[in-house]
Amino acid sequence: METNALSAGPQSCSLLPVMRQLLLSATQDASVAMSRWTDGLICLALEEVCEIPLERVCEELNICDQTLVMVVLSLRPPLAGELILNFDEPNARQLAYLLAGCEPNLGGEWSELERSALMETGNILGCAYVNALSRLIDRELIPTAPYFVCDFGASVLQQALIVQAMHSNSAVVARTGFFREETRLAWHVLFLPSPALQKAMEAALHSHMSRWGKGRSNTFGATENPRHDRPCSTTPIGQETCD
Amino acid sequence: MSTGIRSHEPLAEHVGMGQVAIARSPKTLTAVLGSCVGLALYHPRLKLGGLAHVVLPLSNGSSAQPPGKYADTALEFLLRQLGSQGAQARELIAKVAGGACMFASAGPLQIGEENVRVTLRLLQAAGIPISTQDLGGTKGRRITFDLSNGQMIIQSVNQAPLVI
Repeated sequence: METNALSAGPQSCSLLPVMRQLLLSATQDASVAMSRWTDGLICLALEEVCEIPLERVCEELNICDQTLVMVVLSLRPPLAGELILNFDEPNARQLAYLLAGCEPNLGGEWSELERSALMETGNILGCAYVNALSRLIDRELIPTAPYFVCDFGASVLQQALIVQAMHSNSAVVARTGFFREETRLAWHVLFLPSPALQKAMEAALHSHMSRWGKGRSNTFGATENPRHDRPCSTTPIGQETCD
Repeated sequence: MSTGIRSHEPLAEHVGMGQVAIARSPKTLTAVLGSCVGLALYHPRLKLGGLAHVVLPLSNGSSAQPPGKYADTALEFLLRQLGSQGAQARELIAKVAGGACMFASAGPLQIGEENVRVTLRLLQAAGIPISTQDLGGTKGRRITFDLSNGQMIIQSVNQAPLVI
């Protein structure tokens, strides 16, 4: 799936680099968990953290009216957010086959075993991501049980965006891609933090910076990327972690 | 786009979250809906209509940009734009779709239901008859609003298309 150059809104200019830095660390933890879960086959990398006008979010993320298979984890308020693991059907069937030996049946019903394999993947990935984020911001984040849905990607994304839409005309989205060896897979994780969680992330990073000095740009020990501090940048970012 | 109105050449025009589009026959307007509501108004004689992709129920006075974001601002905007092209409110009919609950664990805020409830109430208050509707449930909808005949085609995954 190609990535697009996105235009940023003014609201979160200062927030995007902060989120990016935190999410790099969380993505590394999630990548390790994913690698273990798939016997070293699959890893992931943060692609972009961007702010997109609501009316363009689906087209900019290239999630429109195609049917996707998604596993959704919601974070409970007050620090709410949504984590959506999404695949196209062939990739989802392939993963279920890899993990549970379910013979792929393109276009068919999703068996309980296939759903379980995908939900467990979402759970492992989501919990690693959420635990890392919780540790980094030193606040408790409580995810719901994973929820399996096979539907139009845009329909699911809309509901995940509701909390942000209540506060803003734009959406802050972090997108993570998956890799099998050197090959990019048609899987993504979208992370949509609520405004309250965005503020908590910002506060956490400022707290770390004041403790350790502003000159240290990578206080969480994530893989450094020289482009991380570009203000308002929403240009897709290349592969940064692949443990 | 500052006004939120999209009007151009391709026959099929997509209406994103919070947007409103106005068009005439033979154009079609499309949207993909989850918890959002697609509010379509149609003037049968003029073959003129509009589609708003409503995200939330009420603006509570906030200046909404884009205008289709809230049900109240969307209806007001649609009526104003259609009126400016000669469509009287009393000659319009409404078709409404969407308002699903996409997640089982949607929490205390059932936004799809609320979007539906407010949209229907506003239409009733404006005296615009609702000719047909397809609302609620747990499935997403892809809608195509055909300005040549006022029909709305509704597609959901693994279901036969529905024409309302």
